[in-house]
Amino acid sequence: MNIIETQDLTKTYGDFTAVSHLNLHIRKGSVYGFLGPNGAGKSTTMKMFLGLTQPTEGRFHIDGKTYPSDRVSILKEVGSFIEAPAFYGNLTGEENLEIIRKILGLPKNCVDDALKLVGLTEFRKRLARKYSLGMKQRLGLAGALIGRPPILILDEPTNGLDPVGIHEIRTLIRSLPQKYDCTVLVSSHLLAEVELMADDIGILNHGHLLFEGTMEELKISARAAGFPTDNLEDTFLAMIDEDNHRRGGTV
Amino acid sequence: MSLLIESKKLKRTGYLPAFLAGGFLAAVFPVVYMMVKSEEMTVLSGNPINLLMAANWQMMAMLNILISICGACMMYHTEYADNGMQKMSVLPIRQGNMFFGKFLIATLVLSIMVVIEMAVLVGCAKYWFPNYVFDLTEILKTTGFQIVIMLPTVMLMLVIASACKNMWVSLGIGVIFVFTLSIFPNDVLSLFPFASPYQILSVAMENSRSTLFLAVCGIETVVFGIAEVLYLKLRRCFE
Amino acid sequence: MNFLSLVGMELKKIRRSKIFLILLIPVIMMWIPSIINVDMNFDLRGIPITPENNFFIQGFMGMVWFMIPASLVICTVLLNQTERSNKGILKMLSLPISTTTLCLAKFTVLLILAAVQMVMSIVAYYICAAIVSHIQDYNFILEPLYVCKNVCSIYAAAIPMAAVYLAVSTLIQSPIFSVGIGLASIVPSVLIINTKIWFAYPMSYPFYLIMVAYGRAAEGVYETQIAWLPWLPVAVGITILALAVSCVRYGASERR
Repeated sequence: MNIIETQDLTKTYGDFTAVSHLNLHIRKGSVYGFLGPNGAGKSTTMKMFLGLTQPTEGRFHIDGKTYPSDRVSILKEVGSFIEAPAFYGNLTGEENLEIIRKILGLPKNCVDDALKLVGLTEFRKRLARKYSLGMKQRLGLAGALIGRPPILILDEPTNGLDPVGIHEIRTLIRSLPQKYDCTVLVSSHLLAEVELMADDIGILNHGHLLFEGTMEELKISARAAGFPTDNLEDTFLAMIDEDNHRRGGTV
Repeated sequence: MSLLIESKKLKRTGYLPAFLAGGFLAAVFPVVYMMVKSEEMTVLSGNPINLLMAANWQMMAMLNILISICGACMMYHTEYADNGMQKMSVLPIRQGNMFFGKFLIATLVLSIMVVIEMAVLVGCAKYWFPNYVFDLTEILKTTGFQIVIMLPTVMLMLVIASACKNMWVSLGIGVIFVFTLSIFPNDVLSLFPFASPYQILSVAMENSRSTLFLAVCGIETVVFGIAEVLYLKLRRCFE
Repeated sequence: MNFLSLVGMELKKIRRSKIFLILLIPVIMMWIPSIINVDMNFDLRGIPITPENNFFIQGFMGMVWFMIPASLVICTVLLNQTERSNKGILKMLSLPISTTTLCLAKFTVLLILAAVQMVMSIVAYYICAAIVSHIQDYNFILEPLYVCKNVCSIYAAAIPMAAVYLAVSTLIQSPIFSVGIGLASIVPSVLIINTKIWFAYPMSYPFYLIMVAYGRAAEGVYETQIAWLPWLPVAVGITILALAVSCVRYGASERR
């Protein structure tokens, strides 16, 4: 069963098309890796899911609901992490989460829980603007994970983290569906990273979906198209490169 | 060179449009005033320009000061907001030159603003006072005087803005200065920044204080400029 | 979640922003000149007013004309900047809460801040009046009921202005521009207060009330009756319009 589905989802800014006729299918209880180079339209798609930007064309459903009519009830089910540092610098990490907790109407212990999940417990009394980049990133993640929502939308959650942090967060994301039966949509520009976390992947370039399916299916289709398959990073690069060439050729 | 760079930094900040808008807004005062009170004004004797200045300059000067404050804050906000200043300080340029580049730009746009205002005042005089005779030297003198007595305020405000990394602090200091000095009617204080711009050339000439004002304001501007250079040297040692 | 706890939350967001200091400084700055120039209160220049009334009205005049609007401008911009500077607003918009409620909570916080400043100014007035009474050996202290009544009416008259400034800071992204426009809008109120259309300009409402109070304390200086019509309907209309605009446009640019 698909928990998030889009039909011909399109977003244009003036004459620039950020997302073009996107048809995504995200299975319930899976980790969906959303892959693409910078500026491919990943963040725009995620922003549309959260009602932060209006689709120009097409529709999407999240758990059977749609924007804008069910905006609030969608947001109740979705924990999100977009555009890395979104917080109040004059408040401590704990106070920032406290605000989110109150809005979501969650019990008090959720803040501690979220802090523990991302490993910020010992820094919870520090002002958020004094956090290091990695800590800000973790705070953002805590804000998404708080209350353990059934759907998580995470935009490049490992940006700015050190190798240990990246590993921790990856492991955490990988374990989430089994732990609390949730669905995760996570974006990245590294295929190797997505490979470690995701069940399904969607590859986006210049707003177009190049591929959607499992890792196995990717390998099969890449082999069929004559892309290198022994190293996944090469596969990804070759796919993007080929798409760019085709695009450059038609324009 | 530094002037070009500094003006480039102000691109897309809306700096120039803000000053132009401020100039036009200030210029609206005498027009509205004359529309409301033309009957009382036209029967008064005296030079129409002086009459118009006496009735409106307080408000126009205040607007000029407020916009200069905002302008100074804006200039340094672009430096500090995304750590542009940090980059500048590791480049082979003099911090002092940067500051004076900013001061020159601020003076220039202020002059444009005052010129717009004076032009509208002349227009009002022509329209409402039939026996008004246009005298270019007089207008130029007045314009020059009004610009010079604004200079200490512009300079001091830039010094404050350059010292405060947080734009709100410099803005707050500026606003409090404007307020405090505008309700303190005092002959001595009127020589100081934030108070001197309210002076009018014709009034100063009557009290034979025009030379005094020009001299004091000139000195103040230079002193604040030197203070800034010293401050920059000092800051370099401590940062 | 209910509106009250939302307001509480908004108040929490301005912790450590030194906003109360920003509100306190003008209150203090306002009374220092009054203390220094206290002897001017005896030089009435033929205006039939008692020195104690003169002290009260002259002191509040500067406050009402410049400081209340300026504080409101700074507060609204500060409130919106706390949301924008680290994209906190983006988080708020992705939480299940309506933007209208969020915007109204912000407005409530603004009104609370203004109320705090009013209380501060009453306290400052009594402290200063006590000081000058002691220095001049003349009783400058007015009865609390009169003072509170005037301050409360000034506060009420400042509400439309607060709504307008909120709308300005919501519509204009650049903080320095919204401050600039706000501050520039204060200046003409001196001019507009003497015209027939003063009621169309919210920034002059508190100033109008203090002028009426002046008129009552000193005969012939200004009107003694408040012209409720057409003031009241216009003021209510402006407030509702400004609030509607801010509610509709709240967070709009973050949701392009």
